[in-house]
Amino acid sequence: MLRTIKPKNARSKRALQAREPKEVEGPRTAIFVRGTHAGDKVQNAMKELMALKRPHAISFSKKNAVRPFEDTSSLEFWAQKNDASLFVVGQSTKKRPGGMTFVRMFDNRVFDMLEVGIEDFVSMQEFKTPKSTPGHKPLMHFASELFTTHPRLVQLKSFLLSFFNGEEIDGIHLAGLGHVVSVTLGPTPPSLSSTTSATATLGAITGDVQPQGEALPKVHIRSYTIRLLASGTRVPRVELTPMGPSLDLVLRRHQDADPELLKQALRRPKLKKQDVEKGLGKKQKNLEVDEMGDLRGKIHVAKQNLGKLQTRKMKGLKSSKEESVDVDEDDEDDEGVYADAGRKRRRTE
Amino acid sequence: MDVSEILAEHARKQQAITVEKEIPLEVDAGFLTVTDTNPIDEESYKVNLEEYIQSTARDGVQVLISALFSLPTVPSPDGPLAQLPPPTTQLPRAKSLPKPKPLSKWEQFAKAKGISHRKKDRKVWDEEKQQWVNRWGWKGTNKAGEEQWLTEVPQNADIDHDPAKKAREERKARVSKNEKQHEKNMLRAQRAQGSSSAPTDQRKREIDRTLATTRVSTASMGRFDKKLEGEKKLKGVKRKFEAAEVSADTEKLQNMSILSKLDREPATKKAKGGDGVLNVRKAVRAASKGKGSAALAKESGGKKGKKVKR
Repeated sequence: MLRTIKPKNARSKRALQAREPKEVEGPRTAIFVRGTHAGDKVQNAMKELMALKRPHAISFSKKNAVRPFEDTSSLEFWAQKNDASLFVVGQSTKKRPGGMTFVRMFDNRVFDMLEVGIEDFVSMQEFKTPKSTPGHKPLMHFASELFTTHPRLVQLKSFLLSFFNGEEIDGIHLAGLGHVVSVTLGPTPPSLSSTTSATATLGAITGDVQPQGEALPKVHIRSYTIRLLASGTRVPRVELTPMGPSLDLVLRRHQDADPELLKQALRRPKLKKQDVEKGLGKKQKNLEVDEMGDLRGKIHVAKQNLGKLQTRKMKGLKSSKEESVDVDEDDEDDEGVYADAGRKRRRTE
Repeated sequence: MDVSEILAEHARKQQAITVEKEIPLEVDAGFLTVTDTNPIDEESYKVNLEEYIQSTARDGVQVLISALFSLPTVPSPDGPLAQLPPPTTQLPRAKSLPKPKPLSKWEQFAKAKGISHRKKDRKVWDEEKQQWVNRWGWKGTNKAGEEQWLTEVPQNADIDHDPAKKAREERKARVSKNEKQHEKNMLRAQRAQGSSSAPTDQRKREIDRTLATTRVSTASMGRFDKKLEGEKKLKGVKRKFEAAEVSADTEKLQNMSILSKLDREPATKKAKGGDGVLNVRKAVRAASKGKGSAALAKESGGKKGKKVKR
């Protein structure tokens, strides 16, 4: 545990302030950690992922004895020291060859982990094509129905999103969109497809279903540069050119987020008043912006009671004096009844 | 006039940029992300993997680009910026939400009274010098009274009346008052957060403990002492016993903790830095006459040097 530092000058104070939690967070910094035995394939893959992640990437290129699934203390230390919240740990063993572990942190603690094995890796250099500019935001493309249904793949999608694109921005220069990271799954095995989910659960009960890791399809990560061609309309036509790196991954071990931590991590800042007025957050009823950009409201008025409407006052329409005197002279007990009657009369009018 | 040609042209153009899928793609423009939930076509996947992936990716990107190009834009010096909507996907944060800063006493008061904060400018306009000067700090206007070459002295002034000194003292008093208030605010904030490490709380605990000790420090252990009004009865420490039956895990943990303690080198021994027979630190102190090991090493080295000279 690091001791808390009290800044001694303005520069270190600013540096510490930059590390403090913010309401709207910037991009996450990733640390690429080389394990004790990484191997060529894993090292190259990490290098190229780092090239995509730059400038928010730090490389730990010396050998590090870390086992994220057994001991997370050094990851937590590094996260605090470098103000990083993502880790990619490359470690190749006999049991799990070509392994890469993605670790996400929350408040310098491990949030969740995901281990993948690299089946196939093609480097950027093998594609003799133009490359993207470092520091540009990539587009992301996910293709498979499992990305919305299967928890492991929902986690993978969330992971890759926060790895490449996890920063909320309010505007983007469209000419700067240069490359896309595409994540495609292999064909969904019948045990996981929604049509046969009933049989799958039945199989799970009887216990004759494959282990989950086996059943999950392969993950193909590809990156392409985008060419925007004139189509004659405002929207250009898109052509893709493979840029590399391309990775074929299998999912291995994983560790889900602690539910308490997840709740904390998903907390949103309270919206500012002007944002709420703009229509963010809660859905606004009866408000709309018309074509001219003016805010238009719709007001619902209760049904009008025309009987109560005050029209021209005339002597003839006035209730006679005697009647009112009668009411006044009545007993207290009766008064209530009269008053009730009066109210009823008004209602029926 | 025949417009069919124009219509056909338009349709052709549209065709180039539209993508038809069974299930429409989900676009999250805030994160520049598109998700294609259509099932993977197994046949073309097996026949030519790369081509299949590229074609699905192209379709997805086309949909995303169309969505992005239809967003409203604002001009900027670098070109038009597309205004992105807030993302629909929820991603976990990297750090917890910042806690609201605790209000100072003045801020609390101002809030209750509805006084709004008005920020003072750092610089003020000096009519005499005809330029902007600092309100405080280097050549600050708050030091104006201390730098006058001529000051009016009141009739009833003391003989050692020094207007510059007086102004300076007043200013210093204001500064120290502000510092004190700031300190108090920090303390209040610390206490409000619930941490009992605030200095005053610590002091209070210390006093309580001392009082408790003195109360039982008479010959009768406080039995025949005069009781003050409202004095509470002293509570001793109650002995606590472990449950007779504990789960196997806790029992194992307890025993393991004892074993690990036995295994460890005792702290006192470690500090002495020896194997118990010889206290090295003490020996060094004695040999160097209290000057330390560095002096001892220097001395012996010096002697050697002399020998070589001879």
